[in-house]
Amino acid sequence: MKDILLKYINEQFQADDPIEAQDDLLGEGILDSLGMMKLILFIETEFELKVPPQDMTIENFMSIDDMATYISNRK
Amino acid sequence: MLFTLPHIIQNSARSFPEQDAFRCGRDSMSYGELDKKTDQLASHLIMKGVRKGDRIGVYMERCLETALAVYGIMKAGAVYVPLDPSAPHARTRFLLDDCGIKHVTTTAKQRRKIKAILETETNLESLIGIDADLTIPSVSWDAIFKIDLSTYQPVKIIESDLAYIMYTSGSTGAPKGIMHTHHSGLSYAKLSAQVYNITLTDRIANHAPLHFDISTFGYFSGPLAGATTVIIPDAHTKLPASLSALMEQEKITIWYSVPLALVQLLLNGVLDERDLSPLRWVLYGGENFVPKYMRELMGLWPSATFSNVYGPAEVNQCTYYHLNTPPETDEQIPIGKIWENTTYKILGEDNSPVPKGTSGELLVRSATMMKGYWNNNVLTKKALYTEHIAPGVEHVFYRTGDLVKEDEQGNLIFLGRNDRQVKLRGYRVELDEVEAVLGKHDSVEEAAVFILENENNEKQIAAAIIGTKEIEQSADHLIAFSKTYLPPYAIPNHIYFLQDFPRTSSGKVKRSEIVKSLIQR
Repeated sequence: MKDILLKYINEQFQADDPIEAQDDLLGEGILDSLGMMKLILFIETEFELKVPPQDMTIENFMSIDDMATYISNRK
Repeated sequence: MLFTLPHIIQNSARSFPEQDAFRCGRDSMSYGELDKKTDQLASHLIMKGVRKGDRIGVYMERCLETALAVYGIMKAGAVYVPLDPSAPHARTRFLLDDCGIKHVTTTAKQRRKIKAILETETNLESLIGIDADLTIPSVSWDAIFKIDLSTYQPVKIIESDLAYIMYTSGSTGAPKGIMHTHHSGLSYAKLSAQVYNITLTDRIANHAPLHFDISTFGYFSGPLAGATTVIIPDAHTKLPASLSALMEQEKITIWYSVPLALVQLLLNGVLDERDLSPLRWVLYGGENFVPKYMRELMGLWPSATFSNVYGPAEVNQCTYYHLNTPPETDEQIPIGKIWENTTYKILGEDNSPVPKGTSGELLVRSATMMKGYWNNNVLTKKALYTEHIAPGVEHVFYRTGDLVKEDEQGNLIFLGRNDRQVKLRGYRVELDEVEAVLGKHDSVEEAAVFILENENNEKQIAAAIIGTKEIEQSADHLIAFSKTYLPPYAIPNHIYFLQDFPRTSSGKVKRSEIVKSLIQR
């Protein structure tokens, strides 16, 4: 799961240096707000789940590790 | 007395030393603390040999240290230059070189990016705000805060001195730096603090990053009134549910952002679960706000007055249009009337005034106007319009490039551009810059860049390419290539490969024809 997310983010958003699973995606300017919406859409299709607005929080989306935990809890 | 931007902090520190000046996440800083710490930064810079007028970079995420950097740099008589940490390194290096920046203020979070930039950047001499094993000397913020001020001699600055340079998209393929003086910055702070009646009890949400001109409201106007500016951390700007929780917790009274942030709050911000009743002003700028979304949002926030703020970064702000009640129709919201201490003209292509109600270019003359573009007299001249009043007396206007008309109530309506600049999520993008970047690629013979709208009526950048045979390489490759030169919001969303472009008899590319043929596909 983490690899899928890593690959997607590195391909879509990273130009200069590739990121890692524990990196803070939100604080370091890797994703902008539209990028975040794209990523959530990707997660919804890839892992076949719906992310409701109240789940779109920092706790769930700070890093790939956090996203993986969130997705596992939802499955 | 208030003549320069640092006077704002010195004044507020004298009057309300304990009041929170800035807050961000769990951190806060009082006016007294801000005044002292910015003296310490200024003292360090002076000791490093920084002289009046030197440019100093601010390479930071949204954090409290941005406020320290802005005011500390100006106190040293230097000029702050915001650098966008999400920009590609090539662009950052261009800005560093273009401005001749020798010192950069930063934070520990930017360590990895700073290291990458240092690999090829040789002109930098020192870094402030990071304590790491780097190729040039660096000093942590903690070390700055230990500096003894007993021998500190403040630099004498006057209002016509340069205060900051903000870069924006340039049509030739290189970004251009907009120079503001203490006078133009402070004039904006005074006017906006007055229009929005900012007081000591206000809590202003600063959503924009420092390199975006609307940040001057939170960094200058709020402190001028002794209010508290809440810097929204980067993470919250991306996740609306966390953002609305922060707004509630911080009891925000004044909001200012691009419309997109407000639309995202409306759609995904779980606003029905939040008490945002302290909100009294919602300012938006940068682009049009879709009336149907504004109507919905105003229904949820009945105590807030909305204000459409207009003004290119070159003049900070020059008009406003307040809405106390939701718009009744879907007609575009006016940009409103020209504010105080500002005059304007609406001129046709022949530089003569257009009759009232017809479209023309807006020209503005104001105390809040820039000094010019950094290191670019040609561009500065082109952007300014000089009216000779009497021998030795001239009125200088800024040509906004925005087409407007005046309605019967005297409000200005924005109609579009007279060039190829577009606004995407509030950011200015020169389509010619995107074209120039794509043209740099070896396999691209010619590029034509234009705007397409997707099914949700969102503007997207598209590029048509005539390439050499090797261009059979995918569109992804060209997108990755443009990412190394352009900021994220200026990257083309779609690439199309064509054999040739439709052209006029003189050989000029007819971009509108390309758009038509692509839509029909």
